[in-house]
Amino acid sequence: MEKILTKKSFPNWIAKLATVQIYAPVVKDDLWSYEVVDAAGITTEYTNAIQSPKKIIFPQRELFLEFSHNDNGSPEIRELLPEDKESIIFGIRPCDAKGVSHMDKVFGGDFEDSYYWKRRNQVTLVGVGCNTPPSPNCFCTSVDGSPFSHEGLDVLLTDMGDNYYVQTFTKKGDKLVNMSKGLFAAPKPKEKADLESLHKDAETKLPRHLKDTKKIPPKLKGLFDSEIWDDESMSCIRCGICTYLCPTCHCFDISDEITSHSPLEGKRVRTWDNCQFPDFTMHSSGHNPRPDKASRLRQRIMHKFQYFVEIYNNYQCVGCGRCISKCPVGIDIIQVLEKVRDHV
Amino acid sequence: MSDNVYIPKLSKIFEIKEEVTGARAIKTFRTQFVENNGFSHKCGQCAMLSVFGKGESMISISSTPLVKDYLQFSILKTGRVTSALHEMQEGDVIGVRGPYGNNFPLEKWKGKNLIFIGGGIGLAPIWSVLQTALAKKADYGKLSLFYGSRTSQDIVYKEDLKELKNDITVHLSIDQKEKEWEEYVGFVPLNVLDKKPSPKNAVAITCGPPIMIKFVIQNLEALGFKDDQIYTTVENKMKCGIGKCGRCNIGMHYVCKDGPVYSWAELKKLPQEY
Repeated sequence: MEKILTKKSFPNWIAKLATVQIYAPVVKDDLWSYEVVDAAGITTEYTNAIQSPKKIIFPQRELFLEFSHNDNGSPEIRELLPEDKESIIFGIRPCDAKGVSHMDKVFGGDFEDSYYWKRRNQVTLVGVGCNTPPSPNCFCTSVDGSPFSHEGLDVLLTDMGDNYYVQTFTKKGDKLVNMSKGLFAAPKPKEKADLESLHKDAETKLPRHLKDTKKIPPKLKGLFDSEIWDDESMSCIRCGICTYLCPTCHCFDISDEITSHSPLEGKRVRTWDNCQFPDFTMHSSGHNPRPDKASRLRQRIMHKFQYFVEIYNNYQCVGCGRCISKCPVGIDIIQVLEKVRDHV
Repeated sequence: MSDNVYIPKLSKIFEIKEEVTGARAIKTFRTQFVENNGFSHKCGQCAMLSVFGKGESMISISSTPLVKDYLQFSILKTGRVTSALHEMQEGDVIGVRGPYGNNFPLEKWKGKNLIFIGGGIGLAPIWSVLQTALAKKADYGKLSLFYGSRTSQDIVYKEDLKELKNDITVHLSIDQKEKEWEEYVGFVPLNVLDKKPSPKNAVAITCGPPIMIKFVIQNLEALGFKDDQIYTTVENKMKCGIGKCGRCNIGMHYVCKDGPVYSWAELKKLPQEY
């Protein structure tokens, strides 16, 4: 559905939403970050957060199961699913929401991931589109996205000056508007037209561009043994920030944490892992299929722009620009991809 | 609880056999599910074994699916989890989840001669398919096995191999000369070249250390085997077993889910990153 909400009525709507837990961007340690907030703390005036709200659905550390030894010394296990708790992520950017829809594909399929879906099904995504790019390295339009894409979103807000133009795309989204029906008005034809031109205009403001992205997946196929990977990974210090900040990276580790040795008690946990780390792929024999920085950068790029495309028909990159902005040595995924595209 | 793919099923180790001792110790474990919630597998598939407090490790199931009342795993002591498994006693309980991965296309091979080529612990993934073919011997042509280990002390399934010699041709080898060793001395790929198995109406199934597989394939090609007549299994570090944790991939293939069994024709097309 499409509705108009005046900025004056905005706090009343938020107050209504606040019956469930709301995550929204707030300034924490001088940086925008998605945190649990009360209704008064919510704003639509923010740049993009340092981390995408991926961590709310796919936490950096989460519990899988508890184990202990009974009196006979035999193990007993207990499944630890996330709690029953509905929540709203308010102010997720369209690129980050698109990242969630990519993660849905990974954690769905033949083997559904119970932990991911328990959280995912309980969260409603309310997006705030980008009238102006929230980062100097935004390039969403180069990877099939846009500043007002609604992929993955339940609700999208467009700041129209005095009003918000509110679009819903799912039943979950409808529910949030229907909670406070009286606050919303039907959009007039002019408002519809203004929305369209605002969205179009926003697409012209992107600070970064990657031309001919479509050429990259087929090109990558022939570049497995290219010198590009050595050249581009030379400065990498293996910090892994590129993947930790990425709204689509989903790789993880599973390990056991012991809280008592005798009797044995502990938990099995999932933590984010990182393809830029040497022991990510190292066999217990010491053999490593990706033994150097070059092969690990190649994996990161090929996963996002070839393998993921082959499996799901999408780039595994939403153009948020975080990996560029935060790389301590200036590795720029756009520049790497340009070298791939232009390689002869 | 049952639909959560990450929750292992408790399984009791009811038999442990010491195959090889020393620095590269190998033990064979037979396990039974504690509750009536087990699974059946196909030849070539793997299972994720848990030692609670240590973690999980992906191990190929070496028993034939024709045996329904237990699973067998032959495990080389290498890392944290496999070392913990080697400390376990009969009666101890571990976790098992699976089965994972694709399987050897045994149906497709009916009527063909099957040549099994294993090295070291690489006999374990082959054992399941070898035993299955042996049990249905009438369905297949001639069966033969090449098996090599570093020394005569490193041979797994010693007694079974002795028995196997009554049924099929077995070519054993060790890497270096030893007193009283009457069979081939030298690496597995050279033994294959020496015995010259015919590619006619045959399929070769090889598993072992990556370097052995590489040269076995080279030598099979030299003997006239075509790419789709050679099968192997690949292994990579794994955590989830279901194509999500992101580390075992070779190109777009997750070995845990899309492998571990590949014909050389298929594997050749993937990036050489394993």
